Amino acid sequence: MSTVPFPGERPATPVPTAAAREAAGRTRPPRGRVRPSAAVVRVVVLALGALLFLVPFLSMVSGSLQVAADPSPAGLLPGAGETTLDNYRAIDEAISLGSGLLNSGIFAGGVILATIVFGSLAGYALAQLEFRGRGAVFALALLVQVVPFQLLLVPLYILVARDYGLADTHLGVMLPFLINSTAVIIFRQYFLQLPQDVFEAARMDGASELRVLRSVALPMVRPALLTVVLVTFIGPWNEFLWPFLVTKEADQQPLAVSLANFITTLSGQVANPTGAVLAGACVLAAPAVALFLVFQRRFTSTDIGSSVKG
Amino acid sequence: MRTRAPHRAAVATAAALALALPLGACGAPQAVDAETAATARGPITIWYSNNPQEVAWGEQMVAAWNAAHPDEPVRAQEIPAGTSSEAVLSASITAGNAPCLVFNTSPAAVPEFERQGGLVDLDTLPPGEDGQTATDYVTARSGDLAEQYASEDGHFRQLPWKSNPVMVLYDKEAFAAAGLDPEDPPLGTYDELLETARTIVGSGAAPNGLYPSPSSQFFQPWFDFYPFYAAQTGGTQLVEDGRPTFDDADGEAVFDLWRTMYAEGLSSPEIYNGDAFADGAAAMSMAGPWAVAAYTDTVDWGVVPVPTAEGTPADETWSFSDAKNIALYSACENRATAWDLARFATSEEQDRLLLEMTGQMPLRSDLLGTYPDWFAENPAYVPFAEQAARTVEVPNVTSSTKVWQAFRNAWSAGVIFRSEPVGQALDEASSDVADLVSADAARGERS
Amino acid sequence: MSARTSQATPRPAAAPPRHAAGDGGERPASGLRRVLGRQPLGGLFAAPYLLFVLAVFAVPLVFAVYMAFHDYFFAAPGADVDRPFVGLDNFAAVLTDPAVQRSFLNVAIFLVINVPLTVVLALVLAVALDAPMRGLSFFRAAYYVPYITSSVAVVGVWLFLFGGDGLVNRVLGPLGLVPDPSWLVNSSWAMPMIAVFVTWKQLGFYILLYLAALQAVPKELHESASVDGAGRLRRFWSVTVPGVRPATFLVVLLSTVVGANLFTEPYLLTGGGGPDGASSTPVLLLYQRGIEQNEPGEAAAIGLVLVVLVLAVSLINRRVVGGDR
Repeated sequence: MSTVPFPGERPATPVPTAAAREAAGRTRPPRGRVRPSAAVVRVVVLALGALLFLVPFLSMVSGSLQVAADPSPAGLLPGAGETTLDNYRAIDEAISLGSGLLNSGIFAGGVILATIVFGSLAGYALAQLEFRGRGAVFALALLVQVVPFQLLLVPLYILVARDYGLADTHLGVMLPFLINSTAVIIFRQYFLQLPQDVFEAARMDGASELRVLRSVALPMVRPALLTVVLVTFIGPWNEFLWPFLVTKEADQQPLAVSLANFITTLSGQVANPTGAVLAGACVLAAPAVALFLVFQRRFTSTDIGSSVKG
Repeated sequence: MRTRAPHRAAVATAAALALALPLGACGAPQAVDAETAATARGPITIWYSNNPQEVAWGEQMVAAWNAAHPDEPVRAQEIPAGTSSEAVLSASITAGNAPCLVFNTSPAAVPEFERQGGLVDLDTLPPGEDGQTATDYVTARSGDLAEQYASEDGHFRQLPWKSNPVMVLYDKEAFAAAGLDPEDPPLGTYDELLETARTIVGSGAAPNGLYPSPSSQFFQPWFDFYPFYAAQTGGTQLVEDGRPTFDDADGEAVFDLWRTMYAEGLSSPEIYNGDAFADGAAAMSMAGPWAVAAYTDTVDWGVVPVPTAEGTPADETWSFSDAKNIALYSACENRATAWDLARFATSEEQDRLLLEMTGQMPLRSDLLGTYPDWFAENPAYVPFAEQAARTVEVPNVTSSTKVWQAFRNAWSAGVIFRSEPVGQALDEASSDVADLVSADAARGERS
Repeated sequence: MSARTSQATPRPAAAPPRHAAGDGGERPASGLRRVLGRQPLGGLFAAPYLLFVLAVFAVPLVFAVYMAFHDYFFAAPGADVDRPFVGLDNFAAVLTDPAVQRSFLNVAIFLVINVPLTVVLALVLAVALDAPMRGLSFFRAAYYVPYITSSVAVVGVWLFLFGGDGLVNRVLGPLGLVPDPSWLVNSSWAMPMIAVFVTWKQLGFYILLYLAALQAVPKELHESASVDGAGRLRRFWSVTVPGVRPATFLVVLLSTVVGANLFTEPYLLTGGGGPDGASSTPVLLLYQRGIEQNEPGEAAAIGLVLVVLVLAVSLINRRVVGGDR
């Protein structure tokens, strides 16, 4: 899920940067007086919820290390039972984790790159340049997000496989996601918030529009770049159906597709299929979780909120 | 509501832009001229299956050919391992980049490929040096079994190649543990099968009797219903003469048997992650001769023909063939070479090598008589070779995939999950299949 | 960089800037300008995106409509095939097909469970997370992790946890709370399981949306309600819930789109829409018909019906929840 509709146009008033707002949110005094009992309830609720959210991941890691997957509650502990790395070896032999990860990386990386380059161009044009059809382009970006992508699946598949000749290529896998429309809107949003006179000043210096965008506008919207990278990353990294359709050759498949194929058809080939599936799941989950943890402090609710709320 | 106007503008723009582009046809790949291609010779590409045994066979076959035909080199590769080879082949037909020959063409997919214009009618190819047409050659090699592989117009668009006749494998250790005779288990009739399964599950020797995949993919009936139906009817196809055959006492008997298996917990409705037979999750399995090599190290197994309601002598029992054939794809430019290679690959010598290296049964008449010494050395394969003479294929109907999917849906409802009575499931499946087949016929007349 | 972006000292223009001509619109615009707008370069900047939307959305959309009205199927290049116009036949075929009807019903079941669950849990958790406390970032990360993890990976774990002999049944078995057949192969449970799975998977994202929306609820409202003597629960109902309405609209809309697009879950979690079609979805059928069975016409018809329904649900959502302020 990476599409985020954008309910209405936002007035072009400058707002504090996301970081500033987040800082403000952090230091805001608590609402009313929190009674101790309420605070305890809150922690208990949050902890219980977090437990439910994390148990599957715990099970994923533990199961991937067990010689035979242990479905009992005790088996949740990572050290439970005999530990081994055989499951990782088995899944690697069956579907080649390295090439799967590489393909996933190329897929997500290519989409992020194209989105940053072309998305910022489009976002900048929509926010700062007056040209014929600007309203129409913006409306298209909104419309694109409401049409379920899956509707276009079959025709797009025919076009990509036959007319564009892109079956089993990285470009074919990336194509439908190449420029994330949400990112275009996020860029537009941030560029709208920048004060006009900065641009005018740069233009007066004789800078070309491209230079204004690269040297003036983009550095000022760093938070937007991070938001775009994270919002855009999740889409292709998690996407299953489209790459599943366009990649038939194993060495072109992103890891999500090869792991799914393993689950549905190949699992009979290994001694401990459940362990192998869980090991594959760990490898597939790890990069996204790591990326998130690294950037977590910067990727805050206000950040995504401002880009989504409108 | 400032977005309203741009919305309308966007729709108009999108529509205008889209209509301005020619629909689909731009840059589409070029078709091959059939007349020129039929007699053309030169380099070709072939695909074969990706299991190690077949790859080894394919490599030696291509090497032998290339040594003898330096002017017509063959480039061979494994079929791209996608979700299923049918999906891969259908996509490459559409994209116009199919290879010349695919040594892994499922007979169930052939009618659809034919409709797509993806396959070459083998009779359009020049006769071999011996003057044999393709039909002559196929019939001479495969005998009566060949007939099931002909298209509706009587021509062949696939060269029947090898079969994997489905039989019932059983785990001798589990049977012994349940107190059953592992050398002569009671598996002749449905009652015996049920009683045996009950004994196994009841004794805890294995959690399931038989454990075919309960998932709803269209091809799953080939490994539960169809072998039993073939055995019960003595070789009746699912559809014959444009009519579904299974809504009768025989079909009902098979449905009832399996419904009982699921209802009594002798088979599980849950998808098994792994190989249930190898893991000991089931004491029996439906498998072809590929199983000999696959299970020999892990399971002490025995094999019997598929049971029938009243019991049938082994040498009269039919089953499903699970065949894979060789087809020549219309994207091929050097079809004469491709056809020569197909005949080379199905020669008596190469068939023997196929048998030795893969254990799968070449679709030849009188297999045991052709290679008596080999079977004498490898007695484990003899029951499969005997079974290979009595196998039934999937019906050669255009909407094959849809027919099997409709059937599978009814099977799920009537047998696995028992949300409908058997009679109703059979009726529904039969009428759905009848509709699909008659729609095919209507489509055929129109074009 | 900082010097360049500084607004404090705008240097006077040394040379006439390129864009001066159109400034303020004092001079009459040239004919070209009138056609292309004041800064036609903007068109150039937006062109790659426009081209992309064209290739990936507009053309396939028109193609989909075309296929829906024809007996279309994939064929080899140059093959002589007949793909006649069939009017509404494809629509009639799919709308009268019980399997298709069932798949739409399944989406309805999904929405009925998923949407309220998502809205309530996301809002409650967002409120709980919306104040400083120790370990806050840990909790936020915990809720967010499923959202960023690939569906295929987490489906693999759920298959293990909810299997007949999985952890869930081991825990619930002694309490007599295990359905027979087990969760994923039980026709009453398969679709609710998918709804719960998706709620769990997506919740982190919706919590973020609500967290953002909570920032926008004026503090004064809470304070004045407190002064009026309203308790926490009462303030939640009368201040927070109405205050985050636009976010609720968005959450409902997005859940609907997710529900309409379900594929990975029924394909992997319930073995292709099983048991017995109880968890099949329109997109799963779209895949089966369009790709497996070579009936792209029927697939396109399913897709179009789906889009119309999604738009209808969004309109109802707009009426009931109200996204506009």
